[in-house]
Amino acid sequence: MYIIGITACTAGIAHTYIAKEKLVLAAKERGHRVKIETQGTIGVEDELTKDDIRRADVVIIAADIGIKGRERFEGKKVVNVPTEMVIKSPKSMLEKIEQKLGIQAAAK
Amino acid sequence: MKLLMEDEKMKIGEVINWNAVDFDLEAADKAEALEKVCEMLYRDGSITSAEEFIRDVYLRESEGHTGIGGGIAIPHGKSEVVARTCISIARLKKPIAWETVDGEPVRVIILFAVGVRDKNSYFVKLMSQVARMLARPGVCEQLTMCTSQQKLSEILGG
Repeated sequence: MYIIGITACTAGIAHTYIAKEKLVLAAKERGHRVKIETQGTIGVEDELTKDDIRRADVVIIAADIGIKGRERFEGKKVVNVPTEMVIKSPKSMLEKIEQKLGIQAAAK
Repeated sequence: MKLLMEDEKMKIGEVINWNAVDFDLEAADKAEALEKVCEMLYRDGSITSAEEFIRDVYLRESEGHTGIGGGIAIPHGKSEVVARTCISIARLKKPIAWETVDGEPVRVIILFAVGVRDKNSYFVKLMSQVARMLARPGVCEQLTMCTSQQKLSEILGG
């Protein structure tokens, strides 16, 4: 599936980027395509486009603070989690999402 | 996986404050460890007040776990008293208790000191690259065993 998401933490220095990397690595390992926007101290990077959002099967918002542009995901399936959950156990979180959406992990 | 290019490796070294790196730090607990790390930064002139900086670090500590698992903690402070935005690294002689996501003690402290006005600087960007590296498989484990500057650069440089 196509997973998109946003990561953002309170200080916007470290957790945002650790969470992104963990999410991307775990999603790829499970055979998904993935794009994660970061909202940190240095601003927005890898901003999600309208096309990304249109094509996405699920939106994962891993954030400890309010994020910018939440309204972009109206009508999409959105999963909200703290960054800590993504940092701690990205794979089991994705497994749960796959189960909930009835999607099997694609072959590598 | 995209590997960092040779010139990017050198850049990551620029944000690490090599005057504030210790591979054999003796500390009984988190408070003593943070004190000693801040002392290194103060001696080096990277922060102008150890007391105030520690207060800002604890403020962030109160907002959630900085122990990211795998024996690594990433305390950080955005503070008025940071003169040079940089990373200080301490590998502890003995692991210490810390609030961590995996409940395990901490062996390596990677402290991010950020000047409040440094919102969009080159160095804060480099910090995000270091954070990214910490998410890669095996990196945390390698850091807990690292005892030299050269090895540290290799691990964080990708």
